[in-house]
Amino acid sequence: MAYCKKTGFTLLMLFALKFSFAGVIKGRVSDFKTGEPLTGAFVRLLNTKFNTTVNLDGSFILKNIPSGKYELEVKLIGYKQSNVSVIVNDKETAIVAEINLTATTETLQLVTVNTVQDKSSDRTVRNIEKNSDMVQNILSEKTIQLLPDVTVANALQRVSGVTIQRDNSGEGRYAIIRGMDQRYNNTLVNGIKIPSPDDKYRFVPMDLFPSDMLERLEVIKALTPNMEGDAVGGTMNLVMKSAPDKFTLNANIAGGYSTLFSNRPFSAFAHTGMNNASPAEIKGNSYQATSADFNFNNFHYSDKQNPVNTTAGLTIGDRFLNKKLGVIVSAAYQNFYRGSNTQTIVPSAGADIAPIPTTLIVTDVIDRRYSIQTNRIALHNKVDYFFNNRNSISLYNFYVHQNEYQTRYTNDTTFGTNSSSVQKSLDVDYRSRWQIQDIYNATLHGDHKLSNKVKLDWSSVYSIAKSNVPNMSSYNFNANVLINGSGKVYEIDSTTYGTSVKHIWQHNSDRDLAAYANVTYKEHLFNRDIEFIGGGLYRYKTRDNYYNDYSLKPNYNTNQRFHIIDTVSLAFTPAQNGSGNVTTITPNNYTVHEQVTAGYAQAKFMLLQQLQVLGGVRIENTQLDYTTVMPIQFSGRSGTIKYTDVLPSVHLKYSLTSKQNFRLSYFKSISRPGFGEIVPYSVPGEEFTELGNPYLKHVTADNLDARYELFPGGADQVLLGTFYKQLQNPIEYFVINQGGPSNLNIQAQNTNKATNFGFEAVITKYIGMFGVSANYTYTHSAVTTTKATKYYDATSGQVQTGITNQTRPLQGQANHVGNISLLYKNQKVGLDAQLAFSYTGDRIAQVSIWNNLDIWQKPYMTLDFSLEKSLNKHFYFYTKLNNLTNSVSKMYIKTDPSVVNKFVAAGLPFQSANSSQIIMQRQTVYLGILGGIKYKF
Amino acid sequence: MKKIIIPIIVVIAVFAHAGCKKWSDEKTDIYQYIPPPGQTVSDATPLCGSIKGVMLSGKTYTIGCDVYINKGDTLVIQPGVTINVTNNSGICVRGVLASLGTKAQPVTLSVPGLLKDNTPGLAFKADSAHSSTRLWRGIACDTSCTMLVLKWTHIDFAGSAYGTTFSQAVGQKPTTSFNILFQNPNGYFIMEDCWMWGGTDDCIRVSQGKIHVYRNTFEKSGGSGGDIINVKGGTTGTMAYNFFIGTAYNGQKASNKGQPVGAPQTNIVMYNSTFVDCGLQVVPGQRGSTINFEEGARGAFYNNVAVNCRVGYRVVNNPAADTTNLSYGYNYQYADSLVIANNFFTSGTVCKKPQSTDLPNPATYLPANFDYTNPVYDGTPAVQKLAPMFVNFPLPCPSSPWAITSVGNYNFHIQPSSPLIGKGFTGVHPFVVVPLDPTFGASEVTPPGADLGCYQSNGTGNQH
Repeated sequence: MAYCKKTGFTLLMLFALKFSFAGVIKGRVSDFKTGEPLTGAFVRLLNTKFNTTVNLDGSFILKNIPSGKYELEVKLIGYKQSNVSVIVNDKETAIVAEINLTATTETLQLVTVNTVQDKSSDRTVRNIEKNSDMVQNILSEKTIQLLPDVTVANALQRVSGVTIQRDNSGEGRYAIIRGMDQRYNNTLVNGIKIPSPDDKYRFVPMDLFPSDMLERLEVIKALTPNMEGDAVGGTMNLVMKSAPDKFTLNANIAGGYSTLFSNRPFSAFAHTGMNNASPAEIKGNSYQATSADFNFNNFHYSDKQNPVNTTAGLTIGDRFLNKKLGVIVSAAYQNFYRGSNTQTIVPSAGADIAPIPTTLIVTDVIDRRYSIQTNRIALHNKVDYFFNNRNSISLYNFYVHQNEYQTRYTNDTTFGTNSSSVQKSLDVDYRSRWQIQDIYNATLHGDHKLSNKVKLDWSSVYSIAKSNVPNMSSYNFNANVLINGSGKVYEIDSTTYGTSVKHIWQHNSDRDLAAYANVTYKEHLFNRDIEFIGGGLYRYKTRDNYYNDYSLKPNYNTNQRFHIIDTVSLAFTPAQNGSGNVTTITPNNYTVHEQVTAGYAQAKFMLLQQLQVLGGVRIENTQLDYTTVMPIQFSGRSGTIKYTDVLPSVHLKYSLTSKQNFRLSYFKSISRPGFGEIVPYSVPGEEFTELGNPYLKHVTADNLDARYELFPGGADQVLLGTFYKQLQNPIEYFVINQGGPSNLNIQAQNTNKATNFGFEAVITKYIGMFGVSANYTYTHSAVTTTKATKYYDATSGQVQTGITNQTRPLQGQANHVGNISLLYKNQKVGLDAQLAFSYTGDRIAQVSIWNNLDIWQKPYMTLDFSLEKSLNKHFYFYTKLNNLTNSVSKMYIKTDPSVVNKFVAAGLPFQSANSSQIIMQRQTVYLGILGGIKYKF
Repeated sequence: MKKIIIPIIVVIAVFAHAGCKKWSDEKTDIYQYIPPPGQTVSDATPLCGSIKGVMLSGKTYTIGCDVYINKGDTLVIQPGVTINVTNNSGICVRGVLASLGTKAQPVTLSVPGLLKDNTPGLAFKADSAHSSTRLWRGIACDTSCTMLVLKWTHIDFAGSAYGTTFSQAVGQKPTTSFNILFQNPNGYFIMEDCWMWGGTDDCIRVSQGKIHVYRNTFEKSGGSGGDIINVKGGTTGTMAYNFFIGTAYNGQKASNKGQPVGAPQTNIVMYNSTFVDCGLQVVPGQRGSTINFEEGARGAFYNNVAVNCRVGYRVVNNPAADTTNLSYGYNYQYADSLVIANNFFTSGTVCKKPQSTDLPNPATYLPANFDYTNPVYDGTPAVQKLAPMFVNFPLPCPSSPWAITSVGNYNFHIQPSSPLIGKGFTGVHPFVVVPLDPTFGASEVTPPGADLGCYQSNGTGNQH
């Protein structure tokens, strides 16, 4: 990272005296070099009370100025102060000044950002976008702060071409970039890959990061050879705040709540006194656990009325020792009570033949209520030291710790399978889940200018990500509701029939040791500047997973009345099922080592005066081995997987004018399967059991991008792009039948190939105090997989199961994704407001084993609002309102109206006659409110 | 512009393509277990691992850990062999297993030291049939097992969890605990004149296969749940003359769920079975307790007898059995109490139509406009009507309901005065899909009986 000492002030003025208005000084403030409007610059007439700040489009106005000679001062952090003499002759004269400020630093190079300039603004990021060597979109710190979002995951949905995958409380968790599922994207913190606490995958849950720690969020959609090659959709780089130029203190605190809990209470479970380790971990695998080893503590639920959400943040930074030593410490605390009410129709593992072949069979209608408390602490700290203007070193630390307490209450009406108009079978299920996730990253980084031509930078990295789910417990019981002829319930009979109690212990960790080094060599050849960069990376990853699953059943001769779970006599049937030798000797207990060695060479030069070429090749070698605790009789108990990829790329940037670029790029990239996907594990998931697949291959992709960029000035921009991707061995989740006919499992498998193409448009325009930011992405993808069919075969006179091919979009890919934000910024009264609308079109949520029974998610729209108002020089009030329209998320199956009509006749809820859609799920999360105070020193 | 850009792209693309071919590669080496060749069985030392050959008549063998009959290998068990299974072991069949007991010299597979306890009302946790820690894993076939033949064989005290290795060998979960598992759609499962005692889940699970299950006796089968002969999609054949007492859920159940590609639709003909005190763990409306047809299964059920079973014969409406290809009638039910009589036609999504050939005639207790898909009726007229007149079994039963879960000293053969005599429908066609052979096939396809239930007054039917 380059560093320039702040030098003295120089002043460059350009006066343009124009038309006249009474006593008014009107002007524009812009960057000397780029002509960008410098929004937020402070303008004042010395020795008077007149002052103002510069609008979004760079303009300012001072009114009712008495005649006289004044000195106009313009100040902005990161720029040299400018003083201009102004004469107001009489009331009819107006002065229009065009004032250019010179940055205290040089123009930005690559994505390295100078430490002194104000890096947080949109203006800066527009510069980065414009000057960057590849296709990327960036959200600035100021944009992020003004967004209605408190986590990086939710902020990501504002980026062009990004869709978010939501969790059970409707909160964003993962990003889908240009229709490419989260597996095809990677996450960097300050350019360093970080491990994931996820128990199966490599991708990092983006809701772990509080958004107010970010300096900016980059979504890089075309990879250069010096970047890690495992992103097909894109790379998300979280650039965290670095040490400021002078003493900085920011603090914020806010409270809020979800209106969901005005409608029903939040259900909390007791999580004190829970066993952190399973009986087998405590007493050894030979120990045969009995019901006495488990208690019912976490089955004791209490209601919280209107629980209050809190967030707090603190950032302190300064530079010492002649500004050579910079320190920043930032802490964020978030405590949220969220939830959702979800009604789900559960498809059977089978399919029917009437009224049409391969007709949906419904087994249950479940009503789920999630109450989720998320309690998150994030700390980040960076210390940098500049030995001189040639050598610098920095130490970066990032730590996030999250507790998630989730109560899931399920009321299963068992539509169909066991219910009729005179009798309903209810299966009631309670689940308590506490998940502790940690990520820690320490990066020691050095920059050395070895000569005027040669630069060296290096990083050594230690990272660890952990997740622990101690004693996830669930129980269920059955209630038979008997209804008389007039529809009145006359008896409810709760029984221990079908009751089971489950306790699961699961924990995993993922540790990285990595080293990166890059050498940059600049040479003047053939009358041109050529930059060569070469470098490499080595990463050694160790991942382990522990899984232990206990299932107890009632211990009676015949089923009994069910009163409360505490009084039910439970046992393992058969008794061996309590032994660690049965419960823990599974492929879910494994260790993986992975070594990634990569090297690259790239060159950047101006081929023509306006044509920049960046090209090169990267070679990545991956060596992975896994070992499970399985005995020798188990095929797949261990394995090694090795592969090498050659990843060429070329990026052309043609500058049509100083404000317009045209880009064309090609890159090849890969996507590595998750560790849990390779290891032949088997874990019950939210809907289906998930299975590993050791024969899963990594994905390779050829990516083409073209983009036109217009930066008219300020934060304004117009981006028009198109992309085409072809994937070999894409990984899709298949629902497969294994381990019994009713057992539906999900397994990741390769399909032959997939294509994905589309175009995107981004427009940002500021007019005075108003701004509009809009983006739209069209994506089309196609993949062909085999599906099962069920039909009546007239020849054999039998029902048959068949196989057919079906072409469909990639899972999670929406054809239309768009965002519109309306911004209002009144610097005078210190008001910032934003109304953000996000649209995600129709997409496949779950791929079915059966032909035409994929479950789709309906277009989802959210409207969020945020506002920040300064109260005085240091204090600001802010509020964030989420899901103003109370959007309901819906899933459905596309089918024939005759099928829907059959279900309507059978009394399946949520359906409408003659529709061609079976509604499979409705999720409501309700409006969320947050409001608080920020302090900025 | 184009003049320059295009050659550059071409050059880079060619370089890249050549480079990729030269350098890129992928090598995957996943551990594969190759089972050792089968060793000829001997009674000298406990058996363990891969075995084959012949267990000789009259000898006693011990199984000391899981044994495997490899693909292509055969194990024949001669009459009168006793097999003691220790250490919760099991028998995994990838080839052929034939246990050839006779009426005079049955084969016994059991756990040494475990004794059958016929005490009525024995607490579940005190009953070694379900709760012993020494149960064995039973016989589990993988998809390559071509034939499993069991004749005159006692299979007692199975029901242990499969555990890690055994479950993986047969593609099941470690906690699975079926007494017998069969899952080859083209294989034959033949079981005649056998006895099964105890268990913890489904007693016999047939995922797919061609079956012949005749004249067997099932006592204390299932655990806190479990169907006794539970067949799934792709299973065809006949179940007849079986006797069930004290089951957890259904005695005989057929479903077409999970029908594999190329396998036939589940088609099971059931006749002349007897069910006593069945459905211990069932809640009416949830499951059946005797015979159950569901999800696309076709076939027939005739001449069956159910006494004090929690729920009557059940045809499920959602997911529906293949009702156009399902026929039934001549089925008998007896109830000690109103609760039981009210579930002759059980609630839930059902669609079993009353048949005038059934005993007692449904017309004697059902209302005129009976809606068989939402059964609501008062079964009082059917309570304690038409007692079956077993040789030795008191009705109404003096023990609390469902307290008697094994035969013990009772005798369920029928007295000459039994109302079951002569009421059978002999026009049922057994669905024979297995070879007939004294060794590797079925010994006898007993035709439908003139009397209802598994014991015939002429001495045919169930021979126990």
